[in-house]
Amino acid sequence: MKQTDFDIVVVGGGHAGIEASLASSRLGLKTLLITFSIDSIGRMSCNPAIGGLAKGHLVTEIDALGGEMAKAIDATGIQFRILNRSKGRSVWSPRAQADKIKYSLYMQTLLRSQNNLFILEDCVTSIFVDNSTLVGVFSKIYGAISCKKVILTCGTFLNGLLHIGLDHFSGGRIGEKSALGLTESLIREGLIIGRLKTGTPPRIYKDSINFSNTTAQYGDDNPFPFSFLTNNFLPPNVPCFITKTNPQTHDILCNGLDRSPLYTGIIKGVGPRYCPSIEDKIFRFRDRTSHQIFLEPEWTSADEYYINGFSTSLPLDVQEKAIHSIPGLEKAEIARPGYAVEYDFFPSYQLNSCLETKKIRGLYLAGQINGTSGYEEAASLGLFAGINASLSLKNEPPLVLRRDESYIGVLVDDLITKSPVEPYRMFTSSAEYRLLLRFDNSDVRLSSKGLQIGLTPKTVYDNSIQKKRLLAESIQYLKTHSLSPDQTNQILSIVHQSTISGGVTLFKLLCRPEVHFQNIECFLPPELSKRVGFFRDFGDQIEIESKYEGYIKRNQLLVDSFKSHEGIRIPQDFNYQNISSLTIEAREKLTKFKPETLGQASRISGVSPSDVTSLLILLRK
Amino acid sequence: MPRKIKTTIVALSTPRGVGAISIIRLSGPKSLELAQKLTRNTKTFSPNTVQYARVWIAERFLDEIMLTYFRAPHSYTGEDVIEISCHGSLYIVELIIDLCVKFGAVPAKPGEFTQRAFLNGKIDLLRAESIADLIASKTQSAHRESSRQLLGDGAECFQRLKKKIIQLISTLELELDFSDQEITFAPHEQIETEIHSLINDIYVLMKTYSYGKIVRTGLFTPIVGPPNSGKSSLFNALLHEERVIVSPIPGTTRDTIEESIQKDGYQFRLVDTAGLHNTDETIESAGISRSLKTIQLADLLLFVIDARACLAEFQEIIPAKISNMIIIINKSDITDPFTISKLQNELSRYKTIIVSAKERVGIRELTTLMVDYVKAQQPSEEDFILTQKRHYIALKKMCKFLKNAKASSKRLITSEMIVIDLRLALSCLDELLGKTTNDDILNNIFQNFCIGK
Repeated sequence: MKQTDFDIVVVGGGHAGIEASLASSRLGLKTLLITFSIDSIGRMSCNPAIGGLAKGHLVTEIDALGGEMAKAIDATGIQFRILNRSKGRSVWSPRAQADKIKYSLYMQTLLRSQNNLFILEDCVTSIFVDNSTLVGVFSKIYGAISCKKVILTCGTFLNGLLHIGLDHFSGGRIGEKSALGLTESLIREGLIIGRLKTGTPPRIYKDSINFSNTTAQYGDDNPFPFSFLTNNFLPPNVPCFITKTNPQTHDILCNGLDRSPLYTGIIKGVGPRYCPSIEDKIFRFRDRTSHQIFLEPEWTSADEYYINGFSTSLPLDVQEKAIHSIPGLEKAEIARPGYAVEYDFFPSYQLNSCLETKKIRGLYLAGQINGTSGYEEAASLGLFAGINASLSLKNEPPLVLRRDESYIGVLVDDLITKSPVEPYRMFTSSAEYRLLLRFDNSDVRLSSKGLQIGLTPKTVYDNSIQKKRLLAESIQYLKTHSLSPDQTNQILSIVHQSTISGGVTLFKLLCRPEVHFQNIECFLPPELSKRVGFFRDFGDQIEIESKYEGYIKRNQLLVDSFKSHEGIRIPQDFNYQNISSLTIEAREKLTKFKPETLGQASRISGVSPSDVTSLLILLRK
Repeated sequence: MPRKIKTTIVALSTPRGVGAISIIRLSGPKSLELAQKLTRNTKTFSPNTVQYARVWIAERFLDEIMLTYFRAPHSYTGEDVIEISCHGSLYIVELIIDLCVKFGAVPAKPGEFTQRAFLNGKIDLLRAESIADLIASKTQSAHRESSRQLLGDGAECFQRLKKKIIQLISTLELELDFSDQEITFAPHEQIETEIHSLINDIYVLMKTYSYGKIVRTGLFTPIVGPPNSGKSSLFNALLHEERVIVSPIPGTTRDTIEESIQKDGYQFRLVDTAGLHNTDETIESAGISRSLKTIQLADLLLFVIDARACLAEFQEIIPAKISNMIIIINKSDITDPFTISKLQNELSRYKTIIVSAKERVGIRELTTLMVDYVKAQQPSEEDFILTQKRHYIALKKMCKFLKNAKASSKRLITSEMIVIDLRLALSCLDELLGKTTNDDILNNIFQNFCIGK
């Protein structure tokens, strides 16, 4: 083996690999990124968009921890929207259409110029392990390379198999070969594998679309950036177009089912339920006569459009015929067909809370290889693995993100305690403390950790401290200052509410559903009001934290319910097999998952509250 | 929800059933405070001595007890422990535990006293392990196929409740996590209606608990009415008519006279009370206020009036809640039929009966009417009857959260807030049925809605 001084080798240049290699090289560790092709670094294999419900939260958390995704999309996005605006602010989520080409180039340029980061175009086919510890990798051209840690971010490339109709061929992405050998090497080291499936819709040429038969959808007029560092934000606002399928489309698709790899049983991997193929949708929900379709530009003045909502692996002739039945796409020409891809993943119960495999010290897995889906999930995991591999090399305590402080914390915890069997996607409903985990306060929640690690810029941290102080100060002011009855009624009449006798505190007034921060802002001292104005929408943030105080307190009850066992650690060599007070199922599950804390144990399915009580008793010796 | 150690727990420590005495145990930081509240005692109890005290419920004397205070850490659990020896009546035990819960204690889970003893280092691991086995053997079943054993037929109806809440949460979560897709969401009114129907379901269940209690401990049946309407005569007439059973409550000092009678297998605990009328006199009004309290606690209320009286004389003192009241038009022997039927007409919105307590006329008909009342309360055969206090309390907690959720929905508060209370309601059921995971909710969403781009 070539003895090198690489600290960390990252395998794969997707969204996970980018964040992992940037994090470790920025933390001063000599990092080698090995990818099939430098040109494909940061490529968006599926839809040309970043963010979305719950995913937008992940992106702002990545930013607060010093990752790159938010900055990249702010710089290269072509349409920005906040989703869920009709709901409470905690579930608002930013989403942006990306210019795929610019996004990928942005990342490539950044990685090439990053200190401590080296990029090698090659294919890793096996790992070297000595005494349960990783010592190096073997790449096809370059040969054996020694290193201290490896982060695998192979996406859909491990034994990737692409399906279009009954045809299938090896590949990690259309036009790109798959990674062979690596899976088998991991299996030899004792890891367990599984198989998943995902899919993507066809792309069509712009000049073959009749846009007059569709509805245009633009982004927000006053767009919100993802990154806490982005200023003077004036991105383009390129529209998407909406159309829909009809019964004729469904008939065509149904008639093609006999040549569907999904329905003929060729595809064995489990696909994501929340992102079903169009044939799945019409098969499972037969009473629906129409499904919405979004046409999304792949880049700024794209000549290719992505057909969101039309993921399929049916044969090309069926794809073509079905597309032609959709309004606006009567004459659409397919640039690239839709296809399904099957790939290997490593069920995530094999990871510890640093995303390191329990079997092999120094081997980290991040992204789709963990059984997740989505660019944002991958980037979060890549960043998290990159940070923890680095901290471990620096002999510093690991980064721990709790479920009640971040979506990334929920993501990691769900992976290690639930070990998803279908591609895992982030949902806001997975976060117990949803009310306080907003996209606009990720900096307040996480930047102190990011700063301590050494990735988050000082300005982000300083601003977050100011925001925290300002929030406390404002609420204190509101609670201790009352308005005269006249002033109170003046406000109430503005919001069309009946007047009351006697004054109330500003806080009580703000708690009324009809009263908003704008209504009471003029009663704050000018100095305070000015500082509030410094941060975008900060008045709204003060308003929700006041208005929903009661809900936030009750939300805390739900959080307490899992938090109480979080601090109780379970030794990794704990033997569950002989504990008669545990059910057989609990013994099996606990032996398999090897939870690090009693809190993790309590979240494993099959482990009941009484099992947890028994464990608690045994652990308190 | 795992319990924080700082709670104070309460449970009956002797076997359930009628005996000479029963022992109720309290453990936790609030034990002493609770004991003081129970006995209306302002001074503190001295540790390790047995002391005599009385327990009061509202204004009513309940029982004489012997009370022992074990000061932390010199107790079984290592916490402040109070042991109460009361008379061995299910009714008394239940009321005392009720009171403790009202004052802030929580019913102990199986094995919880011992668990605390271990956690506080009072017993060693070997013993604790065997107790862990015990705890497990009692509660594990709750989460598996044998849950029926623990909950009886209740498991099914709790599962039904759980399914409904999960369905409701799914509908709201769908709206939050998939709003970027073309899905029509449930309007607020529908959510409100569904929460309302859930609350009603729980009420029905909770009502069966009070029926179960009635059956076990007898109906609390106060006899009230204006002075000189013949309450005491009616009391005596009823005792004469039906079989008197030995009162479970030892007859010492008390403000009201109580005896129990039995008819057709149902037990009525009759209470003779002070007369009800408007007065300024302090001593008398104290007695009346006690009677008013008694009325509130009544399972069945016998309101006695003099047949010669006119409506105006007692209209003011007729209790507002009438569903569980029988108006007894007494002294039919000395009143002319015309006056009686006029009065009865005026009272047509009430359930009435004409008797003469003195001549013992109409008493048997009255007891039949009383039995009919109980039977009407009886849940239908196929209904599940709630018997466990723990279940009752879980449902009560659920109700509280569901009401919050309903109020939020009414105020058009957005779904993520409504969900908080619904999830808390769900967590109450989790204590009985085992935990619910986010996956349960997502599974439900994917099963029922066409989503995904």
